[in-house]
Amino acid sequence: MIKKFDKKDEEAGSGSNPFQHLEKSAVLQEARIFNETPINPRRCLHILTKIIYLLNQGEHFGTTEATEAFFAMTRLFQSNDQTLRRMCYLTIKEMANISEDVIIVTSSLTKDMTGKEDVYRGPAIRALCRITDTTMLQAIERYMKQAIVDKVPSVSSSALVSSLHMVKMSYDVVKRWVNEAQEAASSDNIMVQYHALGLLYHLRKNDRLAVSKMLNKFTKSGLKSPFAYCMLIRIASKLLEETEGGHDSPLFDFIESCLRNKHEMVVYEAASAIVHMPNCTARELAPAVSVLQLFCSSPKAALRYAAVRTLNKVAMKHPSAVTACNLDLENLITDSNRSIATLAITTLLKTGSESSVDRLMKQISSFVSEISDEFKVVVVQAISALCQKYPRKHSVMMNFLSNMLRDDGGFEYKRAIVDCIISIIEDNPESKETGLAHLCEFIEDCEHTVLATKILHLLGKEGPRTPSPSKYIRFIFNRVVLESEAVRAAAVSALAKFGAQNDDLLPSVLVLMQRCMMDSDDEVRDRATFYMNVLQQKQKALNAAYIFNGLSVSIPGLEKSLHQYTLEPSEKPFDMKTVPLATAPITEQKTEIAPVATSKLPEKLAPSRQDIYQEQLAAIPEFQALGPLFKSSEPVQLTEAETEYVVRCIKHTFVGHMVFQFDCTNTLNDQLLQRVLVQMEPSEAYEVVQHVAAQSLPYSQPGSCYTLVRLPEDDPTAVSCTFSCAMKYLVRDCDPNTGEPDDDGYDDEYVLEDLEVTVADHIQKVLKPNFSAAWEEVGDEFEKEETFALASVRTLDEAVGNIISFLGMQPCERSDKVPENKNSHILFLAGVFRGGHDVLVRARLALADGVTMQVTVRSVDENVVDVILASVG
Amino acid sequence: MGLLDKLAGWLGLKKKDVNVLCLGLDNSGKTSIINQLKPSNAQAQDIVPTIGFNIEKFKTSSLSFTVFDMSGQGRYRNLWEHYYKEGQAIIFVIDSSDKLRMVVAKEELDTLLNHPDIKHRRIPILFFANKMDLRDALSSVKVSQLLCLENIKDKPWHICASNAVQGEGLQEGVDWLQDQIKTMRT
Repeated sequence: MIKKFDKKDEEAGSGSNPFQHLEKSAVLQEARIFNETPINPRRCLHILTKIIYLLNQGEHFGTTEATEAFFAMTRLFQSNDQTLRRMCYLTIKEMANISEDVIIVTSSLTKDMTGKEDVYRGPAIRALCRITDTTMLQAIERYMKQAIVDKVPSVSSSALVSSLHMVKMSYDVVKRWVNEAQEAASSDNIMVQYHALGLLYHLRKNDRLAVSKMLNKFTKSGLKSPFAYCMLIRIASKLLEETEGGHDSPLFDFIESCLRNKHEMVVYEAASAIVHMPNCTARELAPAVSVLQLFCSSPKAALRYAAVRTLNKVAMKHPSAVTACNLDLENLITDSNRSIATLAITTLLKTGSESSVDRLMKQISSFVSEISDEFKVVVVQAISALCQKYPRKHSVMMNFLSNMLRDDGGFEYKRAIVDCIISIIEDNPESKETGLAHLCEFIEDCEHTVLATKILHLLGKEGPRTPSPSKYIRFIFNRVVLESEAVRAAAVSALAKFGAQNDDLLPSVLVLMQRCMMDSDDEVRDRATFYMNVLQQKQKALNAAYIFNGLSVSIPGLEKSLHQYTLEPSEKPFDMKTVPLATAPITEQKTEIAPVATSKLPEKLAPSRQDIYQEQLAAIPEFQALGPLFKSSEPVQLTEAETEYVVRCIKHTFVGHMVFQFDCTNTLNDQLLQRVLVQMEPSEAYEVVQHVAAQSLPYSQPGSCYTLVRLPEDDPTAVSCTFSCAMKYLVRDCDPNTGEPDDDGYDDEYVLEDLEVTVADHIQKVLKPNFSAAWEEVGDEFEKEETFALASVRTLDEAVGNIISFLGMQPCERSDKVPENKNSHILFLAGVFRGGHDVLVRARLALADGVTMQVTVRSVDENVVDVILASVG
Repeated sequence: MGLLDKLAGWLGLKKKDVNVLCLGLDNSGKTSIINQLKPSNAQAQDIVPTIGFNIEKFKTSSLSFTVFDMSGQGRYRNLWEHYYKEGQAIIFVIDSSDKLRMVVAKEELDTLLNHPDIKHRRIPILFFANKMDLRDALSSVKVSQLLCLENIKDKPWHICASNAVQGEGLQEGVDWLQDQIKTMRT
């Protein structure tokens, strides 16, 4: 009868889904036949299927109707039809959370789970555990213990897995079943053993010692089940990672010994565990890589895939270790499975020598159109990595990338290619022109607004500085004619940059601008009008400020300041300098380091860390008169990591003051600290004005106290200072368990490490995309120049790093990267000094015995120039 | 229903199915009574408090009984009513040694009899005054007085003393029930 039903079902399913147009109310109506006697198993089965289908489609069942259907279903326990009974178990599990009083079936299920029918026992256990809550668990505990050690594997497995689910709910009860689980772990059945091990581990996973004891025991006694071995390997590698155990630990030996296991599954798991271990040396990798190499020639596609995928990962970190497998990987290039072939090629690209690149690229382009986008991205990433390794091969890569760019593909794929091309252009000045040409061609037919605007921005930045800028104008103006608003606006901005930089193009650009001023979109028109007027002035300084370098303030900050300004009518014009600056454009640096790490960039308008601080500080009445927050430093630790109290300090710089925010954490559970403040003793003419104490500091809840310091006004060059700090507070002992404090306490003091204020705290990083324009804009009114010898520094890289971190300024024009094999370098730094004065630094570095540095500083304020030079010297 | 089943039905070979509810307070011996009525090879060794309900089957000379053995614990008693509709007879078990809770039993019985699903149906009720072997057990007459059984006018009822552990008195009750059901059918 069952078979007939299945067949019928299948036939119906071939045409369309027989359950497609089910009505919940109709199904529930049908469910009334559950109440009829005698029971018709076939019809009931069909209705139960419908109910479960509806539940799985996300149909909402009200509590009343669900309960009614559930109780009707309980009557089906009368029938001895096996299929129907098992369907009942499924229904119970599905409805456990939506129906009331599901415990009504407890006894019926207990009867089935202890009964003679083995077919019923496993499923009954699973259903029973689903409807049992903590209070009821005790009642079935006895049965569960029996079931765990039952000799029927399906029953034992069901009980173990159900117990695992219940660990989350009632850990203490399940913990009492450890002995039974222990017994099951020595079962002959591979699944039972695996499940038992899983339960044992989850019961102990919070206790590292117990886990390691368990591992010890099982690694010695050995297991039958390959699944259990895989699990052991995972537990062991996790434990190794947590304890940061060296590779001489017995756990590592165990994992390594698994490489010689007779099951492929275990061998792979062990190899993968070794490969993924942090700080693994080549010697330890070798055996793992060699088993993966063996798998590469396995007849099983799954094994080949696993092996090559793992090798691909290893190749990122240890390309040399994988070189040994090159021959096997070569064979996989022609594998009929495209996923395997792609992974093999990308691995080879990472490990292969420069000479093989051409051949591999040819091979991959033969089937690149057949693989999915996801793998294409993998290929692009491999190419991008390759370009960094072999810069000379950029022409081959660029050709290949432009071909890929022409093919169809999704956004992620195109973005990966564009990012890759951009990173090649940035790393390789020689490839700039070809790269830009490819990108120009791409935007001619590009449906992704984001990519088009990105490329237009790049064209505006790089185009004017190429030998023949005029050829890009056509591509850009085409966009103005053909594309959507956002792209048109970006194109207008790019055009303006050409006009500002190239005097001979200016007349033509002005004509084009004129046309853009008739655009139908407001934004495009506004931009065109604005740029038109700026360009017509023909002043370098204006061009620099309004076309190249744009605004450097934080957008949410600007919005807030403007809002504030409109609320308080005043005669004074709005001052841009009161707006907090955008914290250094970190995103730009990120893209430089990992060009194709296609991670999502932070949302544009999310308030930055500094905006959050600004808000927090503004909420404290004592600090409201200080004006806008200029800069917040990174937190500085003032205590060792594992002391009684952990204190870190964040330095907030305002125009004439500094606020030190001390984030304190009390790690003693028997103490409550009250009225916590940090006493500061300055070494220079700084004046401590006020303390704002943290009222109470209970165990492990961080609190903040603040100290306000006035900067010396009469001596603007005193920018650095050392403070000796001590935390003062009232201690009240308390009960570690309840946190109830004693009535009286005593004053105490805790000495912290010294805190330094340096010149970097007074300067905010600002990126000037066009440094030379900015340099001209500031002018040489307060220019000063001095030469220093840095005796202790050996390389240019080191010198550049030191200068940047000391001054806390933003390197521009990618001048923080020193080209290899050069003896001299020019570093450009830009920043804004406290008070809103732009400051630019040009440092010419020459490598001789040590490093000689000629520093030129320009600023709009003389004091600032002096400060910088004084602090460098 | 297969053809054979129908044939057996016509010939009177097949026993008629009848659904019975087994109710009563906790620890009164419902599960024990049902267990005792089952064929000896299907009997369970140890009886534990029922949670929810159990479905059991047993046969007499002319009927096949399907019993809904309900849990008697206080918090599950409100679940009884879900099964009132299909009960064609009721077995109500009383612990005759538990004088203290006799009023509770009466209260539950009254609620049962006044339930709309039961009130207007003429279904037979069999009372077992269980645990008669205990020394301080009340007689069946005394129990029927305490429960005011004489007030039940519209339904056939019968009370008999029983001892579920030994099985005494059970057959007498079940025979009565079987007769009642047969007369109702015809």
